[in-house]
Amino acid sequence: MGVAFRDILTEFRDTVGWEALAGVAAVDAHNALYQFLSIIRQPDGTPLMDQEGRTTSHLSGILFRTANFLEKGIRPVWVFDGTPPDFKQETIEVRRAIRDRAGERWQDALERGDIAEAYKQARSSSRIDENVIGTSQELLSLLGIPCVQAPSEGEAQAAHMVEKGDAGYVVSQDYDTLLFGAPVLVRNLAVSGKRKVRGRTISVYPERILLSDVLKGLALTRSDLVRVALLVGTDFNSGIKGVGAKTALRMVQRGEFEQTMRERLPDTEWEAIMEFFLAPPATDSYSLHWNAPDREGIIRMLCDRFDFSQERIQKALDSMGAKAGQKTLDSWFS
Amino acid sequence: MLKATIDADILKESIDAISALVTECRLHTDENGLSTRAVDTANVAMVSLTLKKEAFSAFESTKGEIGLDIAKLKNIFGMMGKNDLISLELPEDGHKLKVSFEGYRYSITLLDPNTIRKDPNPPNIDLPGKVVLSGNDLYNSIKAAAVVSDKIALGIDAAQQLFFMAAEGDTDHIRREFGKSEVNFLNGIEARSLFSLDYLKDMGRVMGRADEVEVSLGIDHPAKFAFYIAGGQGYVEYLLAPRIEAD
Repeated sequence: MGVAFRDILTEFRDTVGWEALAGVAAVDAHNALYQFLSIIRQPDGTPLMDQEGRTTSHLSGILFRTANFLEKGIRPVWVFDGTPPDFKQETIEVRRAIRDRAGERWQDALERGDIAEAYKQARSSSRIDENVIGTSQELLSLLGIPCVQAPSEGEAQAAHMVEKGDAGYVVSQDYDTLLFGAPVLVRNLAVSGKRKVRGRTISVYPERILLSDVLKGLALTRSDLVRVALLVGTDFNSGIKGVGAKTALRMVQRGEFEQTMRERLPDTEWEAIMEFFLAPPATDSYSLHWNAPDREGIIRMLCDRFDFSQERIQKALDSMGAKAGQKTLDSWFS
Repeated sequence: MLKATIDADILKESIDAISALVTECRLHTDENGLSTRAVDTANVAMVSLTLKKEAFSAFESTKGEIGLDIAKLKNIFGMMGKNDLISLELPEDGHKLKVSFEGYRYSITLLDPNTIRKDPNPPNIDLPGKVVLSGNDLYNSIKAAAVVSDKIALGIDAAQQLFFMAAEGDTDHIRREFGKSEVNFLNGIEARSLFSLDYLKDMGRVMGRADEVEVSLGIDHPAKFAFYIAGGQGYVEYLLAPRIEAD
């Protein structure tokens, strides 16, 4: 998911310490939930579940990430996707097919006893359904964390909130956020500081990307950056086969964008997609208030309804210090 | 091995200073006295305490480490009379501390020090702003702030040469300023940080009894509160992490 921009952004990714991230963070909810659902799994790919078999990976992820954020002085606001634009339909169908196929392959692998393959396929089968969104929002509200409903793409709404100054940065793994004009994007805010990449676990550190650095460094306008993305492929169009970020960048810098699109992707109505990236639907009607976590409510939901261990939840709640914004002495101990 | 006699008031004062933040601690003993350093479970505040052997009417000890259940010890205080002499005794390699006074003889099972959080390293923090004022003034301001809010700003206004504390509630606001004439010492280096009153109320109760408290501050930095107890034979330092200033 997201645009494959890694190759051209490497030099603009600055590793930052957690202490530099204190403040309001606009979290791309679907991106975070997808991460939780795909990563928080047992070795054979089975997600965390309660006794009735309902998936609870996302609830675990939300609780511990929120505890970690609050402890670090980060006040998150979760931004949820609204109605996707029409031209995303194709991508959505392709993804659904991939997920369904992965689900079947997961079962096959389990029957064969191929645990590694089962895990891999299980991750790809992760889906965010209404139930996941509903329980996520319920838990966030108990945690005292505000949620914002985007009119369309969540990333676009998050970018808008940073542009307005209501949030300091967008939290997402996807570079698309930059296409939507987010001035600051922060990646890798996992609790563990670890991430699974192609089956391997690597240490990751929070990294910050400033849109202004990217545009200046690559000598592009934001429209140019979107042009590069359109050539590579976005959530709304499949790009040109064999054209990666570096090639696309060169094409745009040489002014060959329109010609290339005409020749190689004649059926793509890129003007509409471009317009969507540059002026996406976003709303100003939201209010950002953080409340103290409702400890009893959280325990009722997670322990009584979803079979979480009371001890683990209690510990996470304690680490929140029950108070958002309280720093710990950790930053001052060497 | 530890064998000591101490005035009940001094023992209470010392234990109160620790119990403001933690319910258990590792107490280090040697021939010169006792010391401990502990951080609360949320990692927000730290207490360091030293009690010199001169604080005791009799003191004899080898180098050792004791796991102390502070909460349990506090419960016993109820039985102690003011100015009682308390005798503390722990044999070499013993696991039970004998506490006796006025005919009562308690035997208190100690905690395994390995089950208690390791002592934190002394943090290295530069807190340039300093003010020395009476513990009573400090505690009163904390209590006043707690009426309107759950957090308090402590700071030094360099231009006005003032130490100030301010609390902002949803509807009400309180500010108390101390000029140079009202405090014992003030170096007017600009400082301001926000702190949780949940912590300060507990620490304030202890500090309120000190003649003088030295407060060290920075900008969005922890605050350090240092004061003597036990008639100058004991020394306490609190370190409290700041809260993030809300916009």
